[in-house]
Amino acid sequence: MMQLIQNLVLGLLLGGVYALVAAGLTLIFGVMRVINIAHGAFLILAAFITYSLWSALGIDPLLAILVTTPVIFAIGWVTYKTVIAPIRTAPMASTVLLTFGLALVIEGVMGTIWGNSSTAIRPGYANESFTFAGLFMPKAQVYGGLVAVLVLLILGLILSKTWLGRAIRAAATNPASAELVGIKVAAVAALVFAIGIAAAGAGGAIVGVLYPFVAGAHYQWIARLLAIVVLGGMGSLNGAILGAVIFGVAETLTAAYVSPSWATAVPYAIVFAVLVVRPQGLMGSRLREDAVAT
Amino acid sequence: MEDDARMARNRAPESVHPARGEPPALELRDVHASYGHIHALKGVSLHVSHGEMVALIGANGAGKSTVLRTISGLLRPRGGQVLLGGSRIDHLPPHRVVALGVGQAPEGRRVFPRMTVAENLDLGSFARADRAAVEADIDRVFRLFPRLKERLRQKAGTLSGGEQQMLAIGRALMASPNVLLLDEPSMGLAPMLVESIFRTIVEINRQGTSVLLVEQNALMALGVANRGYVLESGTIVLADTADGLRNNPRVQKAYLGIA
Repeated sequence: MMQLIQNLVLGLLLGGVYALVAAGLTLIFGVMRVINIAHGAFLILAAFITYSLWSALGIDPLLAILVTTPVIFAIGWVTYKTVIAPIRTAPMASTVLLTFGLALVIEGVMGTIWGNSSTAIRPGYANESFTFAGLFMPKAQVYGGLVAVLVLLILGLILSKTWLGRAIRAAATNPASAELVGIKVAAVAALVFAIGIAAAGAGGAIVGVLYPFVAGAHYQWIARLLAIVVLGGMGSLNGAILGAVIFGVAETLTAAYVSPSWATAVPYAIVFAVLVVRPQGLMGSRLREDAVAT
Repeated sequence: MEDDARMARNRAPESVHPARGEPPALELRDVHASYGHIHALKGVSLHVSHGEMVALIGANGAGKSTVLRTISGLLRPRGGQVLLGGSRIDHLPPHRVVALGVGQAPEGRRVFPRMTVAENLDLGSFARADRAAVEADIDRVFRLFPRLKERLRQKAGTLSGGEQQMLAIGRALMASPNVLLLDEPSMGLAPMLVESIFRTIVEINRQGTSVLLVEQNALMALGVANRGYVLESGTIVLADTADGLRNNPRVQKAYLGIA
């Protein structure tokens, strides 16, 4: 029983990390209908930047989020302005191809700078655990999960309480109406892309502490993130969080009770089963109203 | 025809004719617009003088909404000019056009359904820098539509059709527009509600806002407007005073259901 509780908690913590990264992906999709295949690549890029800050300067990798997130935000904004903006209104297939190409470029750049061998960030607490009441919790996972939830909460507050958040939600619901009340949707889109990438960046710093990584690991990440977003419902923020928690718990429980080698497969079986019943995802809806309007 | 007469009494005052040379509040000069290969507007010219209410009537697909889209900047005209108070706005993006004083209540209402009434109204003032004056405009909207004040914390998507239309107009007014563009405000509403909404539109116009009213319901629109235009297949085919249009046999036959 205690072991089950322990695995559930660890699964929830992992789900928190997934939720943060997936939130960025679904936000970008919700506002600009761009499926950002490079999302995983930005995540790994953030992990590498965190690694350099930690190994060269000795900055704690989780504290380094305060540095990496703004850096990744800036990279995301510049990427949007130079690469995404010109084809924002192009058919979705073009943006998928473009962001896939972007992922390959980032992978190449990372390989050139940091090499292609497995990299790990091992702060002092990497091998330590909290133990209480018979529960055994690796510190890195506890810290990482809590930081992820904290960043996610900040993101949620921005979206629900600020003018920017209101503009973002308006632009996601109906871009034409948003324009008509005076929202500069193109500028909102640039900010959303940068915020979404920054969320992947914050997640990447955490992921770098939890697992060793290589430049090519972004393929597994984008597969997992797309599955989470589709499971929750494309463009739905709450859906992405729910999907991420289901993924995190399913992976953790499968690894503990079945076999670690099945851990990456079982969540996809869940996605398959859910989509057979609910093709729009768990919390998917017709978020956008004007897709077919002239 | 009883309705007709009643609405006539509600009509906005005759517009004060501007001094010769003063540019109209809004003017379209030979505007052409297209969607892809579809030539939707083929040289539309019209104007709305300061304080005037002008109706633009026409059948479904005639291009009425396209006219509004070219004014608001959602669609860039292929040719011709759109002028606001004499200055060209046809090259500007929508958020700049809003900031210059054009408010629009879009067709099908298009409120933000998952946000509250209060958030929707707040967003209406998004483009404004004069935050102090925004409070006064909220009060104005509440006086025009007391129902919105009662529903302030309710999600817009849960409002009735009439209330959503009120909110769409209220949201447009929050931009403090000189010119208000209304796209089919009567669409899908019960006749009683339509009358109530139109009375409020007249009141808004009396308070000094110029109105371009796009309507399929020609009877209602010509009942409240000073002047009107008839749009057919992307071309203005008739332009006259509202009374002139209502007595025009062609309009009576095609748009007023009078044989």
